[in-house]
Amino acid sequence: MMKEAIPFLSATELGAAIQRREVSPVEVTEAYLDRIQQVDGKLNAYITVCAAEARQAAKDAEAEIVRKRYRGPLHGVPVGVKDQIHTKGIATTSGSRLRAEFIPEADATVVKRLKDAGAIVLGKLNMSEFALGDPVNSAFGPAHNPWDLERSPGTSSTGSGAATAGFLCATSLGEDTGGSIRGPAANCGLVGLRPTWGRVSRAGVDGASWSVDTIGPVSRTVSDCAITIGAIAGYDPQDPYTYHAAVPDYRQSMTGDVRGIKVGLVREFLDPETCGVEPQTRDAVLAAVQVLRDLGAEVREVSLPLAMQTGVIIRTITHTDRTSLHPEWLRERPQEYHPNTRVAFMTGTLLPAQVYYKAQKLRELVRREVLAALQEVDVLVQPTSAAPAAKMDPNSRVRSKEQAKRALQEGSFRGPYSLSGVPALSILCGFTKEGPGALPLALQIAGRPLEEGTVLRVAHAYEQATPWHKRRPPV
Amino acid sequence: MPDLTQGEVHALGRAVGLDIQEPELSQVTHSLNAILEMLAEIDLPGLNAIEPLPLTLPEGGL
Repeated sequence: MMKEAIPFLSATELGAAIQRREVSPVEVTEAYLDRIQQVDGKLNAYITVCAAEARQAAKDAEAEIVRKRYRGPLHGVPVGVKDQIHTKGIATTSGSRLRAEFIPEADATVVKRLKDAGAIVLGKLNMSEFALGDPVNSAFGPAHNPWDLERSPGTSSTGSGAATAGFLCATSLGEDTGGSIRGPAANCGLVGLRPTWGRVSRAGVDGASWSVDTIGPVSRTVSDCAITIGAIAGYDPQDPYTYHAAVPDYRQSMTGDVRGIKVGLVREFLDPETCGVEPQTRDAVLAAVQVLRDLGAEVREVSLPLAMQTGVIIRTITHTDRTSLHPEWLRERPQEYHPNTRVAFMTGTLLPAQVYYKAQKLRELVRREVLAALQEVDVLVQPTSAAPAAKMDPNSRVRSKEQAKRALQEGSFRGPYSLSGVPALSILCGFTKEGPGALPLALQIAGRPLEEGTVLRVAHAYEQATPWHKRRPPV
Repeated sequence: MPDLTQGEVHALGRAVGLDIQEPELSQVTHSLNAILEMLAEIDLPGLNAIEPLPLTLPEGGL
């Protein structure tokens, strides 16, 4: 196999080629390190590249495979990890100057599990500072969208989106509080899965909002997503809120058959007048729903009446939670935050307790709405975002109350599932146009708690019936 | 409910140990007013009686 071709294989294809010994983990790792060297100057997807550690891990993986000790589909496969996820002996910055010197003494559980699965950690991926707001908030400069370098790769797992779409890792981990996996997946034309809250351990991950944070895959294909979540999911005594439920082999879900699956199309996200969705995005989602219908799914419209309020509800909760994690820095070292982070944290500090409590009550009502809808259908579908990736503004700031309200409303597209803790996946469902300058559009699929398999099944059937995932960005 | 003024937001900041100055003061004021206004507009009957449960528990608990 030509070295230059290796990064363009899916993680699933790569793992299979390694198992068949058509290519070695050392060759694969060198191919990715070369590509990072060539391309990351444009994308700025990595904060830290762990070349020496990756080369050693690749040699170890190769030795094991030669000895026929095969660990599974990620054995020898290079991955990237968002930089709020602890890596032993390697800086973990959370995208902030305040954490630039932090070197964890232990791996996060998810990193340990990736390594146990034989994956090669290539490095730490860029992110919005403290997983909040614009890509430009990163202390290490913004990551760039491989489809258009001037546009946002989505936030806050900016590097997870940019690196995975730019073929700088085979699959990656992101963290999703209010949409930080699904947003980058949508902007970069990828598959991103926010798992059920409690399905994946948060131990060793710098948190934002304890009851909302989730760690999950940002991948190029549904199959890649399935093998990545399969490696990291499961009970962890270091995170008391993880489920004991056994982790299925999610690859078994990908049958291509969705006949009889009940799909609920959430009507609140379809009207440009009321929710701000761009017609092009809405039309792409409606076309995707027609594909599912043609495949035999039973589609009906459903309503989540509080859906368009979920942006402000989740922002109230997560702003307050996040701010409470480092009050001393905000008072003693405020100038070391990006100005946008400083504004957000100051806002979170001033939110009254009764407002926070009202948001928590509303969250419970949202949870009831989502779970009630999921009693009627197997999955809920809607656009992941109102619009394709926007141009990044290096001088972004809050210019008016109305602008702040629009931003809160946009967060509602991903809010219902963050607030209710159910799994939600974003998948590419079209482009803004043919040819150069095309930007990805995305469909969101949410399912019942712990039913990631159903979500992956629907996503996989859709992916296999459509050509979108075969396009490559121009980097 | 009328919007908070920048002076009021500055005073709120002082109450919790933050000295919020421009250019942040106007941005924090916009952000805070946006959140307070949007949440105030959600007026649901019976909301006060709701007991928040932030977690989705499986059958039989965790």
